[in-house]
Amino acid sequence: MLNVLIIGVGQCGNRILDAINKEAFGGSTRLSKYYSRQKFPSRVETLAINTAVNDLKELRFTSANDRFHVPNLHGVGANRTVGKQGFWNNQDMIMDEIEKRGDFDIAFVITSASGGTGSSFSPLLIHELKNQYKNISVIGIMVLPFREEGSIYLQNAAFSMRDMMEVETDGLILVDNQYLKRASGDIATAYDNINNMVAQRILFLIEALDNEMLSVTDLGDFKTVMRGGMGMGTIGFYQADKKTPSLASAIDNSLKPSNLLYPSNVYEEAARAMIIIQGSKKYLDVDVITTVVEKLSSNIGHVFKGIVVKKGLPKVLSVFTLEQAPELEQMYALAAQAIQEEKNRKNRSKKQLDDAFAYIEDLEEIY
Amino acid sequence: MRLIYLAVLVLLIAPVMAGSGDDDGETTSREFSLRVDEGVKIGEYRVELINVVSVMDGLIEVKVWKRVSEFEDWRVMEDHRDSNFDEGADRGGLTLTVVEIFDDDTIRMRAEYRDDYGYPRKYTTERGLAPKNLPELIVEKKFDRTDISVNDEVKVTVTVKNVGNDTARNVLIFETPPLSQFRYLAGYPPKIKSQLAPKESDFAVYSMVAVTEGEVLVPALVVSYADAKGNIASVSSSSFTINIKPKRKPNLDLIVEPVPPIEHGGTGVINVTVLNNGEASAYRVEIKGETTPADGGIEVTKGSLGKTYFEIAPGASENYSATVKGSRSGNYTATIKANYQSDEVIMQKEVSFEIIVLERPYKYLYFVLVLPVLLVAFWIFRRYKEYKY
Ligand SMILES: Nc1nc2c(ncn2[C@@H]2O[C@H](COP(=O)(O)OP(=O)(O)OP(=O)(O)O)[C@@H](O)[C@H]2O)c(=O)[nH]1
Ligand SMILES: [Mg+2]
Repeated sequence: MLNVLIIGVGQCGNRILDAINKEAFGGSTRLSKYYSRQKFPSRVETLAINTAVNDLKELRFTSANDRFHVPNLHGVGANRTVGKQGFWNNQDMIMDEIEKRGDFDIAFVITSASGGTGSSFSPLLIHELKNQYKNISVIGIMVLPFREEGSIYLQNAAFSMRDMMEVETDGLILVDNQYLKRASGDIATAYDNINNMVAQRILFLIEALDNEMLSVTDLGDFKTVMRGGMGMGTIGFYQADKKTPSLASAIDNSLKPSNLLYPSNVYEEAARAMIIIQGSKKYLDVDVITTVVEKLSSNIGHVFKGIVVKKGLPKVLSVFTLEQAPELEQMYALAAQAIQEEKNRKNRSKKQLDDAFAYIEDLEEIY
Repeated sequence: MRLIYLAVLVLLIAPVMAGSGDDDGETTSREFSLRVDEGVKIGEYRVELINVVSVMDGLIEVKVWKRVSEFEDWRVMEDHRDSNFDEGADRGGLTLTVVEIFDDDTIRMRAEYRDDYGYPRKYTTERGLAPKNLPELIVEKKFDRTDISVNDEVKVTVTVKNVGNDTARNVLIFETPPLSQFRYLAGYPPKIKSQLAPKESDFAVYSMVAVTEGEVLVPALVVSYADAKGNIASVSSSSFTINIKPKRKPNLDLIVEPVPPIEHGGTGVINVTVLNNGEASAYRVEIKGETTPADGGIEVTKGSLGKTYFEIAPGASENYSATVKGSRSGNYTATIKANYQSDEVIMQKEVSFEIIVLERPYKYLYFVLVLPVLLVAFWIFRRYKEYKY
């Protein structure tokens, strides 16, 4: 059995973590936590970390014990410098809180790339986790901002992702708000939908990694996939409906851009992949699977496949890393531009203020 | 009555006065009638007729006396002969003559006396005022009961009392012939003493049994008797009607106190009162009881639902009780039947009542309800605490 640690940092991370806890309760209603038990496939420990106590209070399905407020802080106002300082000041306490939860084989650290707290804590936290747990695999799950959210968020996203890569995570899974929001109307429902999607996929993934059935993927396979390419990738998911329970189309669909958390063209941009197929035995035609997987692996590098026999219509999860990420480059360009503009704006303001002060340069206050 | 006499007197006296008017102008004579125990006042003189001694012989007895003087004269007078009293009319006394004797009660008399004595005025003598010595009987016929039904025995008491002041002789009772509505047992016809002294009474009793129902006129009883002189009188009791009711019957009432619901496995007591609210005894009372449905869910554990009595007098009541145990819940009906006799006629009474045996109480049943609620509440509270940040 796998020992899994899921940490959500910052508001975005907290909320996705809460969605995972909710999904583990069976999902549907607000009251499920009162009558249901969480059904995690493995031993899963969750922890929500935040500098803003209000963000923690907002959570519904994460037990109070699993919410950690970094003392004396009220958010960091998207300022990563303040955030980093906050982490260092409270590092021991945070690490103690994690240590209490025992040993882990794999940890997921969920955060937004653009906020203050999550984006600054996560790289440092991952670094500490790798220090403390020798054999742990740490996967970052980063949520990219809406592009129109502003220059600071863009800048934060750019720098935090770099930080993330520098601390040598075992892989980064990207979730792009900008890309996913298309489905929903208002921001609140968009967030909820995105969070639920991520939660469902993460739980499915954990279940697949921890399954002892024949022809399954394991943690090693997952790590291999995540180390491929740029070391960052995303997850696709498709659940066949009754009308078209075809396995081939389900697998195909799981790879389609519309079912990914981050926009990419798998057949062209992926480095390594892992396809996990779950469903009733009657749907699981190995030939079909092999054909589809072969088609994919002939285009990209290695493709792991896992088959989990479980009652129900076929569900397919695909995890892959990218060789190239044009979308990311675009974002960095935007970020650079934004930083430059920010700099100019600041200079302009500074100059204007200096000009203003110039009027009183040789004067003194007279009473 | 006196006025009439007075008027007659005036009419009779008028011509006499005219005739004797010239006679030395000092005396006058007047005629009047007298009855035994009557008298006339003439001046200070009083003339009283004591007795008609003999109508045939024309003899009467008078008493003449004068007020506020020693003079008193008792004398037997012959009719049509003048008799001088206190030296006669010429000397200031009276001269009396019996003119006619009508019967042994009434005579006609003429008196001669001094003119200035005025008119004779009548009065009743002291002896006349004194009560007469005559027997007087009163009769009473009485039934000893007024509420009579067929087969009832009635005692008739006949009482005769002499309330007069002389002995009644030859007392005879004339009781009516036997009434067809009754059968006479003893003492009929009633007999009593033939002589009854003043204040004395005698009675006779006879008994009879009412035979047919309906209204009966009980006729008066007549008693005849004679006084000392042999005069015969008769009195009768008053007649009355009685109503003979139909034959008396017993009527048993079975009264059962309502039995409170019996707890499952518990017992209840059935109290039965047998009351004879009829008018005759009930004999050979046989009471039987049963419960339905007879599924054994209820059984008598003490006493019995039935009972027998040889006799229950009218107005009397008997009591008995039975203890029943309810071992199965349900509604049971108990029926109690009484058979009894009266005059060889068999009668029957029946009463039914309900006995409820309650459901088995599940004492700690509420735990079954409360416990899960508590558990759920506790669980929810714990979860609430767990997720309250
Ligand atoms: N998918 C998703 N994105 C979210 C959610 N909440 C916030 N975000 C995104 O996260 C970014 C903001 O980061 P936050 O996580 O709110 O910031 P933080 O880590 O709490 O840092 P501070 O608030 O600055 O202390 C924005 O780009 C939001 O669009 C959420 O529930 N779901
Ligand atoms: Mg925040």
